[in-house]
Amino acid sequence: MSRKVVAIGGRRLSLSNLEKELYPSYGFTKAHVLAYYRRIAPFILPHLQDRALTLKRYPEGVEDAFFFEKRCPSHHPAWAKTAELRREDGERMTVCLVNDLETLIWVANLASLELHVPLARAGSPETSDAMVFDLDPGDEADILDCARVALILRDLLSRLRLASFVKTSGQKGLHVYVPLNCPETTFEDTKTFSKAVAVILQKNYPDLVTARMAKEYRKGKVFINWSQNDAKATMICVYSLRAREKPFVSFPLEWRELERLADQGDPEKFQVLHGEAVRRAETTGDLFREVLTKQQKLPNL
Amino acid sequence: MAVQGIWSGTISFSLVAIPVQLVKAVAIGRVSFRLLHDKDYSPLARRMFCPEQEKIVPPDEIIRGYEIGPDRYLPITDEELESVSPERSRTIEIVEFIDMNEVDPIYYDHPYYLVPLKGGEKAYRLLVEVMRRTNKAGLAKFVLAEREYLVAVKSTEGALTLITLHYSDEVLPDEDIAPKEGKITAEVKSGIKKSIKSMMADFNPGKYADERRDKVMDLLKKKVKEKAPVAAPEVEKAEGEGPADLIAALEEIMREVKKNR
Repeated sequence: MSRKVVAIGGRRLSLSNLEKELYPSYGFTKAHVLAYYRRIAPFILPHLQDRALTLKRYPEGVEDAFFFEKRCPSHHPAWAKTAELRREDGERMTVCLVNDLETLIWVANLASLELHVPLARAGSPETSDAMVFDLDPGDEADILDCARVALILRDLLSRLRLASFVKTSGQKGLHVYVPLNCPETTFEDTKTFSKAVAVILQKNYPDLVTARMAKEYRKGKVFINWSQNDAKATMICVYSLRAREKPFVSFPLEWRELERLADQGDPEKFQVLHGEAVRRAETTGDLFREVLTKQQKLPNL
Repeated sequence: MAVQGIWSGTISFSLVAIPVQLVKAVAIGRVSFRLLHDKDYSPLARRMFCPEQEKIVPPDEIIRGYEIGPDRYLPITDEELESVSPERSRTIEIVEFIDMNEVDPIYYDHPYYLVPLKGGEKAYRLLVEVMRRTNKAGLAKFVLAEREYLVAVKSTEGALTLITLHYSDEVLPDEDIAPKEGKITAEVKSGIKKSIKSMMADFNPGKYADERRDKVMDLLKKKVKEKAPVAAPEVEKAEGEGPADLIAALEEIMREVKKNR
């Protein structure tokens, strides 16, 4: 096993297995993964900041077994920031907070290709900073159908004076975020609201949308997964890599661009690869920045 | 593709180190039932109840206490417990090889499979083969889910299995169980021997099935045909719509949005 010691942010980090191909059919190694996270760090770090990280680790690469890790590995470096969370059963749990470049690189070095975070910060686990609509295409539906649903959602939300933002999941779906950033908004509020919206869309577009979790309702339709608005749930972080055959990224899109992609009708064009992700983020800046800052209140209807 | 591993690390002794993943070896086939409220078929939840205050206690008011006598407890915090919890194992370090025949099954706790990870296949096969031939098992200490276990690593049909073992002080004494010696005639002894011999067979677990489980499943299949299942109001609420006002207001806005699209 090869090791290389590097200095990042004044910390010494021992990186291992740099030549290991984590995306074997694409020839993308651990070194490439680390290089990606290093370049994207200025964009992804604000979105990871102070959130309990769930690691999804692929020690043998994307074609092999993975495992989720909610607890911060007990061998974490002393300088890595952690938080204590209390789980529902009353047990305490130490979680990682990825607040700086060195922790991000340490986590990536654990072959945690995917970085998942909750919609709340560790210090206020009941406050939902954003409401999310996780658009998941069922069998025989695709990302184009998701785009249609996302655009309807955007229009409905803007009628409610709520700005929304969209990103690819990096897999087959899209995620629509409504920034809230109000300390008084709870997951109960966002869950009730997002579910009502999902139900209305299902009623109005019964051939396109379902608000029901069960697989048998999802065929040929887009499932609006409102239940992600939950303190226990996590979402793939914007700019995180996904563990697919190629290193696709969960990447933010401008609404104009989503409209254009929807018109073009090619599902492949929605996907953003690692290199393009870095290039675009460095050109346009963080299109998801306002998800962290914009203060909006759910209307009292 | 992806077996959900419980743990991964290496198994090692002297100069050998094999990367492995620990996975479940058995899935208990018990038919489980939910408890429902007879009145409206709501699934019931368990809550912690304080008989003194006659109220339900929220999770953040629950602590642990060790009972040292009637109504006398020693409170202990999570931090204190954590301070004595063992570090998670990175390796299963075999310290001795023992003869598996010497381990009485009463010590067996729970079985797992060890799956070789990339690069470990060859050494894994070798260890399986040697342990099978010699009927030896490796003894190791291993921390899983914050508990330290004594484990045996043995070979089973081409795979390595890991069995957590009970510590000797967990096994209850059997002194009073064996009856005191009495006279047994040679005739009775050879009679018993003979009937055992006549019933000898190879161990073939596939011959046996949990008959009660099969019967329960048959019963459920029959019932599902005859009678519609009952629905819980709770579940309906979860699949339902939400507050009527909110739905009505959204409905109206949706109509406008549709008009303008």
